[in-house]
Amino acid sequence: MPTRIAAIDWGMLETLAALDVMPIAATELIQFRKDAIEPMLAADVVDLGLRGSPNFELLHLLRPDLILISPFYTRHEAALKRIAPVLSLTFYVRGEPPFEKALSAVKVLGERLALQEKAAAVLARVATQIEAYRQTLAPFADRPTYLVNVGDSRHVRVFGFDSMFGDVLARLGLGNAWVDRSRFTFAAPVPIEKLAADKDARIVIISDVPVEARSGFRSSMIWNALQPVRDGRVVMLDNISPYGGVIAGMRFARLLVKGLLALGRGQ
Amino acid sequence: MTARGWIFLGLAFLAGLALFGFEASRQVDIALWPKLLSATPPLSLDELILAYSVLPRAGVALVAGAMLGLSGALLQQLLRNPIADPSTLGMSSGAQFAIVAATLYAPEVVDGHRTAVALGGAGIAAAIVFALGRRNAFDPVTMVVSGLLVGVTATSFSATMTLARGEYLMSLVTWNGGSLSQQDWSVFHALAIAFAIAAFLAALMIRPLLVLSLGDASARSLGVNLGSFRFAIAAISTALAGFVAAGVGLVSFVGLAAPVFVRACGARRPAAVIALSPLTGAIFLWLCDGIVQLLARSSSENFPTGAVTALAGGPLLLWLLPRVKSAEAPHEAPMSPRRLSFGRGIAALLLPVPAILALAFFVGSTGMGWKILTLAEMNDLAPLRWPRLLAAAAAGGLLSLTGAVLQRMTGNAMASPEVVGVSGGTGLGFAVALTVAPDGSAFAQFVGAALGALFSMTMVLAFASRRDLPPEKLLLAGIAVGSFSSSVLSVLLAIGDQRSWQILAWLGGSASTATPITALFLCVLSLAMLAGGLVFSRWLTILPFGHAVAQALGVPVRSSRVIMLMACGVATGAASLLVGPLSFVGLIAPHIALRAGFAPASQHLVGAFVLGAVLMAFADFGARMATFPYELPLGLFAALVGAPYLIWLMGRR
Repeated sequence: MPTRIAAIDWGMLETLAALDVMPIAATELIQFRKDAIEPMLAADVVDLGLRGSPNFELLHLLRPDLILISPFYTRHEAALKRIAPVLSLTFYVRGEPPFEKALSAVKVLGERLALQEKAAAVLARVATQIEAYRQTLAPFADRPTYLVNVGDSRHVRVFGFDSMFGDVLARLGLGNAWVDRSRFTFAAPVPIEKLAADKDARIVIISDVPVEARSGFRSSMIWNALQPVRDGRVVMLDNISPYGGVIAGMRFARLLVKGLLALGRGQ
Repeated sequence: MTARGWIFLGLAFLAGLALFGFEASRQVDIALWPKLLSATPPLSLDELILAYSVLPRAGVALVAGAMLGLSGALLQQLLRNPIADPSTLGMSSGAQFAIVAATLYAPEVVDGHRTAVALGGAGIAAAIVFALGRRNAFDPVTMVVSGLLVGVTATSFSATMTLARGEYLMSLVTWNGGSLSQQDWSVFHALAIAFAIAAFLAALMIRPLLVLSLGDASARSLGVNLGSFRFAIAAISTALAGFVAAGVGLVSFVGLAAPVFVRACGARRPAAVIALSPLTGAIFLWLCDGIVQLLARSSSENFPTGAVTALAGGPLLLWLLPRVKSAEAPHEAPMSPRRLSFGRGIAALLLPVPAILALAFFVGSTGMGWKILTLAEMNDLAPLRWPRLLAAAAAGGLLSLTGAVLQRMTGNAMASPEVVGVSGGTGLGFAVALTVAPDGSAFAQFVGAALGALFSMTMVLAFASRRDLPPEKLLLAGIAVGSFSSSVLSVLLAIGDQRSWQILAWLGGSASTATPITALFLCVLSLAMLAGGLVFSRWLTILPFGHAVAQALGVPVRSSRVIMLMACGVATGAASLLVGPLSFVGLIAPHIALRAGFAPASQHLVGAFVLGAVLMAFADFGARMATFPYELPLGLFAALVGAPYLIWLMGRR
């Protein structure tokens, strides 16, 4: 049974952590700790360098017995296979909601690691939590929600139904105000005024506003004139990895519930 | 300008107006507009969007277009170069690099001082390009090739920095794409003031420009201070480009297209060209932006306008090719300041090889610090290390060889593999493969990239086989193909999904993807190319002396050119497929080899080959170790060697 596991893909890293297994190594940990925050990784997890060019030599020295990737790393698959067996699972496909894939990744990885019971428990807990969150959020269900990520002072990313956030939002029983098809998890760059299409919506800003855009964004005439902004229907959430797995999905759900409850009913 | 020109311009204006009217009336019914003027605040949201988004966007499109048109017209008049503009001369890329660096390392600065940052970057890039061009009396081809090199370097630095921070910053992507969307009038005001000042200064310059168009000697005899005057015009056009870059991002080729259109429509006098280009540029950008907004409305695809205007750039450059007059400087045969014994020279080049091998195989890192590996550890790691070392060295050799051949063939000292357009085509093919098959295998991506290389090479060869085309124009054909590819890449990057991130990773270039098979393949290919190059060394000895000499001595100019270009294309394509587009090594190694004394063609080829291979082998070690475990792109290390060299090159006359 594999015990020394290295994760190249962040979604797979989360999936592994969800099973309570710490990898021996993973990529771009500096950025991961800043952007994804959850799961907390042990301090002795070795940083393998950039996701785009993981350090094969270090990986080789660590003698992993399983390497976790997704199809985004096809370019490196052959090289990785020479080091250890590779498990590649898909999370993000254009037009397909990813949360189900993240859940099935938990199941597949659980089987691979002979942790079927653990995986089943995780999935059961996720299902109960989602259901509980859904009931908590029932009073908020009559307003659609924009899920955005601020790019610069004039543009946002908008998360559609085939993004992790959009999919989880739907599972929580809330409507997505962005009805245009999104592109592989999000539509970008969208000028801010496009958010005026639905006046009744609320706006959820996921992750910090980039430093270089802060003052421009705050003073933006259009942003401040948007009905949801005027009426105070804006929720700011902490950093969440937009290309994560089950943990990112649940982190989003938890932060959203907290944010909406703080905002108050009817908002 | 002829009546036909005015009709064209009028129609374009009407089309722009119609598109604008459509967009604006969708926001607020035209019947309600008069009320807007008298309406008392607060405005409704739709009215606000009309007043603070739709209207300023149109205003920004017009004034930015005018600024770029003016900038291009001034540069083209100044340099007597019909393909000069802020994008071909590298200024836009310089501004881009400055903004990227500042966004990553000092985001607070960008929050308030965007314009200063962009102006600084554009200014430095312009200074480098002009300094490089001065050596050849600002010859149009040299200027554009230098601009391309500065652009390639800036772009690869930007990609590297973005990647090295492991960040995929959306603000950078939006900015690189040149989106014109606005949320208030501030950008318009800033640009309008800058344009008014620049237009006033440009008006003062028209008389001296007229004098300058008579030629340097006449200008001097009429008492024009050429140096300071040139500097003033270059400064105005750079500032214009910098302001636009800071305000809306990269909007390419408007500055190229506007003066070209004006001249094609019969305007000849500098005053007419300079006055009409801003008008044309304004209408052109406004029209393009109208089309982009219409597309966004009908398909919900938000393309940044700048990326769309860039698509027009490649074809426009190709169309302009026959019109470019290159300076009639006699061809200089590559001269070497000294003679060197070939054997001793090669021995000197090979001297560092044992040291590099020792470093490459016996030094390791634990992530905590460097250490000397034991023999057992070395044995363990060698299978991972030799393929990338060999691939890097072979790629370095191949690219240097290509550079030496191109420099000799075109007689232009700035020629290098990037300008064949093959690297750009390879990137384009890679991007298309990613788009068509997002989950495709590594092999599919390789095939896509190879097809892209083949496509761009065919385009350049189609030009090369034209008998009447002087050799240096080949470089321009390559640049045209290259800039077309890079604009398509920037559109794809602007769309912004995980594909973009893979393209960025490829742009950086790394040898870590090399396998034993690809490394051996590259190695065999490079040796075959070296042997081939030696067979053709007679051609390469004669071609630098120019067409007439070559023909008189019985060199088949046309077929020799096609054969050699094909070989260069294959070499560059293979190298960039396997280790990414490596800038600089193909430019520098041939230069150093020549100046070191490898003067005859055959010795020059061998010297450049060996030097390039050694350089890249060392760069592989550096890229692997400098920021362990984060690997730096190979191209960055080559560029770190290249930048000081270029500065040194500028310093000498």
